[in-house]
Amino acid sequence: MLKFSYCNATDLNQALVQCRFAGSFGPLSSRRRSPRAAVSCSRSNLTPIQAVLSCQQQVGSDPVESELGSLADRLRLGGLTEDGLSYKEKFIIRCYEVGINKTATIETIANLLQEVGGNHAQSVGFSRDGFATSPTMRKLHLIWVTARMHIEVYKYPAWSDVIEIETWCQNEGRIGTRRDWILKDVATGEVIGRATSKWVMMNEDTRRLQKVSDDVKEEYLVFCPREPRLAFPEENNKSLKKISKLEDPVQYSRLGLMPRRADLDMNQHVNNVTYIGWVLESMPEEIIDTHELQTITLDYRRECQRDDVVDSLTGPELVEGSKIHGTNGSATAITREDDLDCHQFLHLLRLSSDGQEINRGRTEWRKKPT
Amino acid sequence: MVATAVTSAFFSVTSSPDSSDSKNKKLGSIKSKPSVSSGSLQVKANAQAPPKINGTVAVTTSVEGSKNDDGASSPPPRTFINQLPDWSMLLAAITTIFLAAEKQWMMLDWKPRRPDMVIDPFGIGKIVQDGLVFSQNFSIRSYEIGVDQTASIETLMNHLQETAINHCRSAGLLGEGFGATPEMCKKNLIWVVTRMQVVVDRYPTWGDVVQVDTWVSASGKNGMRRDWLVSNSETGEILTRATSVWVMMNKLTRRLSKIPEEVRGEIEPFFMSSDPVLAEDSQKLVKLDDSTAEHVCKGLTPKWSDLDVNQHVNNVKYIGWILESAPLPILESHELSAMTLEYRRECGRDSVLQSLTTVSDSNTENAVNVGEFNCQHLLRLEDGAEIVRGRTRWRPKLAESSANMDQISAERA
Repeated sequence: MLKFSYCNATDLNQALVQCRFAGSFGPLSSRRRSPRAAVSCSRSNLTPIQAVLSCQQQVGSDPVESELGSLADRLRLGGLTEDGLSYKEKFIIRCYEVGINKTATIETIANLLQEVGGNHAQSVGFSRDGFATSPTMRKLHLIWVTARMHIEVYKYPAWSDVIEIETWCQNEGRIGTRRDWILKDVATGEVIGRATSKWVMMNEDTRRLQKVSDDVKEEYLVFCPREPRLAFPEENNKSLKKISKLEDPVQYSRLGLMPRRADLDMNQHVNNVTYIGWVLESMPEEIIDTHELQTITLDYRRECQRDDVVDSLTGPELVEGSKIHGTNGSATAITREDDLDCHQFLHLLRLSSDGQEINRGRTEWRKKPT
Repeated sequence: MVATAVTSAFFSVTSSPDSSDSKNKKLGSIKSKPSVSSGSLQVKANAQAPPKINGTVAVTTSVEGSKNDDGASSPPPRTFINQLPDWSMLLAAITTIFLAAEKQWMMLDWKPRRPDMVIDPFGIGKIVQDGLVFSQNFSIRSYEIGVDQTASIETLMNHLQETAINHCRSAGLLGEGFGATPEMCKKNLIWVVTRMQVVVDRYPTWGDVVQVDTWVSASGKNGMRRDWLVSNSETGEILTRATSVWVMMNKLTRRLSKIPEEVRGEIEPFFMSSDPVLAEDSQKLVKLDDSTAEHVCKGLTPKWSDLDVNQHVNNVKYIGWILESAPLPILESHELSAMTLEYRRECGRDSVLQSLTTVSDSNTENAVNVGEFNCQHLLRLEDGAEIVRGRTRWRPKLAESSANMDQISAERA
């Protein structure tokens, strides 16, 4: 497995200097690392693209001693795959990442997906603001924003399980890119989950979506597989499903949610993963106690600022042509009638103040395994 | 810095950032003590050898041997050690810590830092030091970084919690769930934390690898103390020290319990006889009320993700709530340098909490340096029932940040 050992204190230095989050964050870490920084590439087996990349890493860099990767990199157990087009990393589930079900929470999984996405971006030399902005994008003040996130979990890992997450990016239309993930249990090799996300380019000054020329796209697309590779290759899969807007009157709600300090990421924005927690806050307790989340799809409409107050609303999703759920108003009644033991809900997060939509979502739940 | 940290740990001296003069003075005072004949660093366990569980407990006699041969066992540690009563346990702990400190003093380049420890790939950690100290590495992940660009205090506390549980597991002391040994489970007993003290010398940032060492000792007749030492894996610099006190409670009656003999048999082999890694903060924690609190935050409710497997709010979450009512100007310009918490009551899913904070007079004897603040905290339910009482100390954020800003503007130019 070709492993790009980095970092590239030098490369990181360059990347982060232009990073829009210029603060103590980037330069501080690169400065501390420079005495031992590792810019080591095995020159054999490099594809032309990777050779170019490693060349770029050397340009303008201070002479550094090469080591076999910093301790963090060795410990991280992640690296680009042999063809350089995807990234894999292993994680062990920690005790505090486990929830009431004794298994990893969906927030933990979402955090790990985000982490591995960021590590992938870093390993190919992009900035670590979580959104993989290439140098040209930063020059044009472009950033990626999440448009949709879709996660399916087939088997939740338990404390001290080791999972391996593979991730890659692909082009999607003129302004979009997609990032896919596959999660596997290392012990059994089985696929325990899949996820996909769609990102669009936005100008950070105008806050408007912006199309870019092809060569700007090319800059980051070199690292993506050219052949379409989808985590969800099947037709009409749920990641493509349109989410209807939940209308009043709404069956379940939790009002007045506020971002905590811990919900803010290093860029002072409400972390994407926080929204997942908010969506689940208005789920009826009967379902949470007896079922586990199988699928979650979130469409992000509007950012939430640290002073906003949010309402979380939930209602059952009415399925055409099959049993209508929830008309009795009681979730337990549904459980008895429903032979599939699977429930679908629609969600809405909106500002308490003016009702503006922040995001909308859809979840599917299955009965907990005994 | 490390020297002061280490010596303060064992002399119960309040640590303070001091000039190099005072640091040398401390070293000097160590050296002036008369040397004693015993030079052996051999460590004997308590009467009962720690049971081997699936071969995971590293019996480290070979390590002790290598320590003896190693030139690093030089006079200063021996002299210092010989001031103390003949506690071989203490010897072991001090040796470990001193070796790390010494590396700093002498700029030795030790890689790996401790020969008995292999960097384990999945970060599960290893028991070292005759089976009494558990050690684990953590790489700081991007989502563990808070608004301050450093690992948040919650991240640090999570790591402490993780190593505590992994220690119990490696030692075979984990029954059902996370809080009890097999004998305790049979009697419906669980450990509950009553007191937590943390001192952070430096927060790790993204990409750092920290090493967390933890061990347990007796606390009075019926309590247990757990200590932690967090250091930078690469440099050995001590980042954080923490100590906690635990008591036993019957989970059904919710009453405190003495430690039954069977449980004593399970856990006592793992107790180290050592002083706490932090000088005990003996100041009484004041209970705030509506009239004395300057800042109040109401309506705090646990989310699903705040609950542990027992449907109680995870201890670490309290810290986030406590900070919710800390004044924003302090949060933005200062960082948390020390914290003492007294846990009074637990809360669950349906609790609604209030967080109260008062900034203490920074000119009292409590504040060690100019620019530091002390705060008092209370977390309580709406009906007034106390959940956690606390005190925090804040120091100005490192001046490095402003230096970096200069660098950035220079590079942009």
